[in-house]
Amino acid sequence: MSSPAADEIARIVAEALTGDRQAEGRMLQALRPGVLAVLRFGAFHRWIDAEDLTQETLQVVVERVRARTIDDPRKVFAFAAATARNLALNAARKMLRQQTVVDSELVDELAQNLEMEQSDLSDADDRQLAQAVAQLLEELPTERDRQLLMRFYLDGIDKQQLCQELGLSPKHFDRVLMRARSRLRTIIERRAPHLALFPRITSILLPLAMSFTVWVRHFGSW
Amino acid sequence: MSLMNSIDRNPLEEQVRLVSRYVAGDLSRSERAEFEAWLVASPELAAEVEMERRLRRGIASAARRGWLKRTAPERLPRQRRWQMAIAASVLLTVGLGVSLLISGEDGIASTGQRLLSRSGGPANSPLVVRLGKMRSLSGSPDIRLSQAALPSQLIVEPDVVVLTCADGAIELECAAGGTPQTPQYTEYEVDLVNRRGSTLAWRSARQQPVMRTQLSFTLRDPGNLEVGEYDLIVRGHSADHEEIVGRFWVQVSAR
Repeated sequence: MSSPAADEIARIVAEALTGDRQAEGRMLQALRPGVLAVLRFGAFHRWIDAEDLTQETLQVVVERVRARTIDDPRKVFAFAAATARNLALNAARKMLRQQTVVDSELVDELAQNLEMEQSDLSDADDRQLAQAVAQLLEELPTERDRQLLMRFYLDGIDKQQLCQELGLSPKHFDRVLMRARSRLRTIIERRAPHLALFPRITSILLPLAMSFTVWVRHFGSW
Repeated sequence: MSLMNSIDRNPLEEQVRLVSRYVAGDLSRSERAEFEAWLVASPELAAEVEMERRLRRGIASAARRGWLKRTAPERLPRQRRWQMAIAASVLLTVGLGVSLLISGEDGIASTGQRLLSRSGGPANSPLVVRLGKMRSLSGSPDIRLSQAALPSQLIVEPDVVVLTCADGAIELECAAGGTPQTPQYTEYEVDLVNRRGSTLAWRSARQQPVMRTQLSFTLRDPGNLEVGEYDLIVRGHSADHEEIVGRFWVQVSAR
């Protein structure tokens, strides 16, 4: 964790651990993207509402920070990640348990709950994302790089085999992937800014609202 | 050796490798815990993870839409050219055979590997519908079609593939600590059944999921559908078993 941004966040969390309320708000805002990324992990994300669980996770984290039972920023990061994982697992378990009763009278209720399964992208957004990726592939300097991305992501061919087949070094392989992500970000920001990773308004307001909620809850008055 | 030590020694390569492995679900339980603690502490890394997901999804989506051209690599190492020439000959022969077999079928072959080599989009607007599980139990149809304004094609993408562990067990986490990676069934197909008389209006070709969970079935001529209510039934097939894994409600109205 040597990047400046991470160091800066560690400093913010350290300040929050001393009871600095302003640092608390900045901490929640800083942790949010990572918590959200954890909650969108792998197969589970299809069964959970990541936005809701992010809020729940940050609520648990801020309460733990206020209780002063953690004294090290690194432990706060690990605690936040573990809390997010556990909440996601519980939500997924709940959903899977419900799926085992598809023939019972609970089906109607289950169908209502399954609304949370909706994809995080609409059809229109999915189309724009596909267009952005098509443009990215079109702009790649060599056919070999195009093949690399398609065979890696579509066919699931592993890195070692692809490097052998295409005559690439592992470093070149990594550079192609890194550049592809970077270029995709640029294309998305130009073609469909709403699909870029700008924070939604909730991500700005949420930490403020949560700090206020916890403050009122702890001190019982304004 | 911890992930963080590894990253400190070789930051770019390790980060790229870890992000790909993480998004693909290939990290062990302990590696994942360590990586996620790092993820929480680094919005930049979180952005990389999100962009990796976008890239994977975008490529799969572009492939389904027929926007990707798949050709042979332009340059190969000299010492491997003879091997690739033989492999290309075999692939060409097999490919021609498969093309003959699947001509006239819908856009994706049962092998799931013929990922839409067409270029450009279709002449008229196709309708792409992504479906969750068991939506037909709600109070309204999952898909509404009007004969007055039919799409050129109906492309149905049901989200019904359950991932299992290598031994077939349906668990949240597998014995080795990884996440389930294997689709429960090797092949999937769709039936469109007219509720009046329970007659089969259309059956898709079988297909394997792309990127483990993604299915896309194309009804080429929705204009052949009569006015009425239909069940769209998704079946999973293995060598010795089949099961209905999704059921949806399609309504075709006159206008």
